Amino acid sequence: MDRREFLKTAAVAGASLALPGLLLPDGSAAAAEKLDMVVAKGPSPARITRAAVDAFGGMRRFVSRGDVVVIKPNIGWDRTPEYAATTNPEVVGTLVRLCFEAGAKKVKVFDHTVSSPRRAYKQSGIADAAGAAGAELSFVEDRKFREMKIQGETLKSWPLYTEVFEADKIINVPIAKVHGTSILTLGMKNWMGVMGGSRGRIHQRIDPCLVDMARTVRPTLVVLDAVRILVANGPTGGDLSDVRLMNTVAVSQDQVAMDAFGSTLFGLREDALGCVRLGHQAGLGNMRLARQKIRRIQA
Amino acid sequence: MIRKARLASQALFLLLFLWLFLQTESKGADQLGYPVKFFLDADPLLALTAILSSRSFLPSMLLAGAVALATVFLGRFFCGWICPLGTLHNLAGAAVRKRRRVVPKGSFRLKYLLLVFLLASSAFTLQITGIFDPLSLLIRSLSLSVYPAFQYGVTSFLDVLSRWPVPGLAPAADWLLGILYKGVLSLRQPAFSQGFLLGILFMGILALNWIERRYWCRYLCPLGALLGILSRRSLLSRSVSEGCDSCGACVPGCEGGCFPQSPDKWRKAECYLCGNCDDACPKNAVSFGFGKKRGAAQLDLGRRRVVAAAAAGVAAVPLLRIGPSGTGQADPRLIRPPGSLEEREFLQRCVKCGECMKVCITGGLQPALTEASLEGLWSPVLVPRVGYCEYRCTLCGQVCPTGAIRRLSPEEKADVKIGLAMIDPGRCLPWAHGIFCIVCEEVCPTPKKAVLLEEVVVKDREGMPVTVKQPRVDLERCIGCGICENRCPVLGKPAIRVLSVGESRSRDNRLLLP
Repeated sequence: MDRREFLKTAAVAGASLALPGLLLPDGSAAAAEKLDMVVAKGPSPARITRAAVDAFGGMRRFVSRGDVVVIKPNIGWDRTPEYAATTNPEVVGTLVRLCFEAGAKKVKVFDHTVSSPRRAYKQSGIADAAGAAGAELSFVEDRKFREMKIQGETLKSWPLYTEVFEADKIINVPIAKVHGTSILTLGMKNWMGVMGGSRGRIHQRIDPCLVDMARTVRPTLVVLDAVRILVANGPTGGDLSDVRLMNTVAVSQDQVAMDAFGSTLFGLREDALGCVRLGHQAGLGNMRLARQKIRRIQA
Repeated sequence: MIRKARLASQALFLLLFLWLFLQTESKGADQLGYPVKFFLDADPLLALTAILSSRSFLPSMLLAGAVALATVFLGRFFCGWICPLGTLHNLAGAAVRKRRRVVPKGSFRLKYLLLVFLLASSAFTLQITGIFDPLSLLIRSLSLSVYPAFQYGVTSFLDVLSRWPVPGLAPAADWLLGILYKGVLSLRQPAFSQGFLLGILFMGILALNWIERRYWCRYLCPLGALLGILSRRSLLSRSVSEGCDSCGACVPGCEGGCFPQSPDKWRKAECYLCGNCDDACPKNAVSFGFGKKRGAAQLDLGRRRVVAAAAAGVAAVPLLRIGPSGTGQADPRLIRPPGSLEEREFLQRCVKCGECMKVCITGGLQPALTEASLEGLWSPVLVPRVGYCEYRCTLCGQVCPTGAIRRLSPEEKADVKIGLAMIDPGRCLPWAHGIFCIVCEEVCPTPKKAVLLEEVVVKDREGMPVTVKQPRVDLERCIGCGICENRCPVLGKPAIRVLSVGESRSRDNRLLLP
């Protein structure tokens, strides 16, 4: 734990102890403190997103007044929301709202898309939803990538997007779907969207690379969009028969636990993904879901 | 008075043209929302030759008919008041102070002969009008050369500036770039294979003003020639009163070079209605109006010249088609945009205006050099290594002014094959080197992946067994969009390549029975 992180944790802990219970909808600050994950289910993506974050202690626990927050959804492809290739726009929009309600100064939303960025932003519905909520949407610009040192086992340095590292808080909002190499693309895989350069090469050693990225980018929150999941022909999709409606959103701070949980949505074991096993071994998080306090709610 | 109104009109239409040019870019929706091909649609020369060469009427060209009809009544107002290239010539010409006149007398006939040449060749199914048509030429030059150079210039200038060790410079440059990216600059630096050549050509055409004011319009423009012929009996006409003493004050200002000083030799077909003679006349003897005396010099081109130009136009048709592309084997690199007509019909319509290349969201559409023989010079070709065909984008068909690229609905487009990807197992990482890589499969956009992965055990460099997924292309599902080639991490020559074979528009260029 470095100094910054210690201060953050101390501040969060202090604040949640000092603040009255009305910040927490269930009224028990202590209970929320101990939760490792909240999984919310329900028909409205916006409602379950809000309920999950609230049950996890509320956005104020994570975002402070005046913060610049980066929300990183998966906007990789030129697909409309029903194809489950990109993060649900309502989930993103709701998170933007929650950040502003918590006092954020600015909320930035962007992704280094694979399809043409203008189409991907627009067609995914994220540009409209996040924009309506007041977020600052920008296309990734080449000049804002900087070669950065990575304390990784495989990656030693890579051009990464500076805006991610300039933010006070980062919220990772992946969508759950299948993928040719990593089996699934979830939270850790979503960090490919802050990488520049010739990132196609990552696939040659995908799992250690993803863990190295997860080591480099530590999110304040991971919000998994499993409103719709793509069970075949991912990550691009395009066939509605490959889409399953799960009506689920999960919130955690643990990247490894979240990806382990994501695997279970596809009927896989929690340790099915290589990046989850490696991340667990590296001490980045805990993939043993049975040993965690997970609260499941309906909203 | 006329002059001021004309200048205002020129400025207005130039701005409209540039505005529509900037709007010829996707903002993310699958519709542009602006009639970006408005000027091409209004071009009677493109309309006439396209109708001749394709033997079909194009409904979008009603506007061109209206312009032609208006010219019959009003004269060459288009050249003087509307044409954006004419306005640019005015601007370029204003920079020249003194000219040494070296243009041979009678040069004005050149453009009519070029027009005859183009009409004759298009009557025999050759469509090369767009090479010379001013609007097509302007859009092509701006799209493929001037605009990319402008963007490169501005961004790299600001980039260099922001690296100077002067406080405040970097944020100022950043701020300016942010504004420019909102409306003027393109999201992605446009890059075209023949940008340099087209830029030199365009600058050369503008530089002709150094020899003669509006040289291009006076001597070369085939659209001007067509409008000139149409305007010979126009109702709106110039007249000179008895007060004229042939002082010659009107000569230097005359844009068309139409002998304004002589009521008898005045060449009506060359008059752009610029109004400069009216402005310059010290006696106020010049006036423009309807129902005036319409006497003017005959347009004498010379029968031999006309016949020769027509013969040359006819002869150009076989001459341009005796290359190897006529032998039935399609060039493997000749990947046409989705919705393109069968190659012969395509060439009969495509005017090489560059609209599709300007609008292509990935920049993959490039001007052909030799892929489509000389006849298809500067027609659009998809170069997957530069940019792929975005699966759900249909913009190129929407902006094509002649229907060479049909307008497709996204559903129709999903079924159109423009080529076929094939893997080179000698270069592919999992095939040749036992290294994991699935990028082609990952990016493949078809709903059921056209790149299939097969798990196989191969030996790594130590001879140890290693499991990799080897990609294979499903010949029926692949649509040839080229994203796999575009993103293949094998550099140099990619390990998966898209070639034109399999394109749905061709009956013969196919591998499988349909």
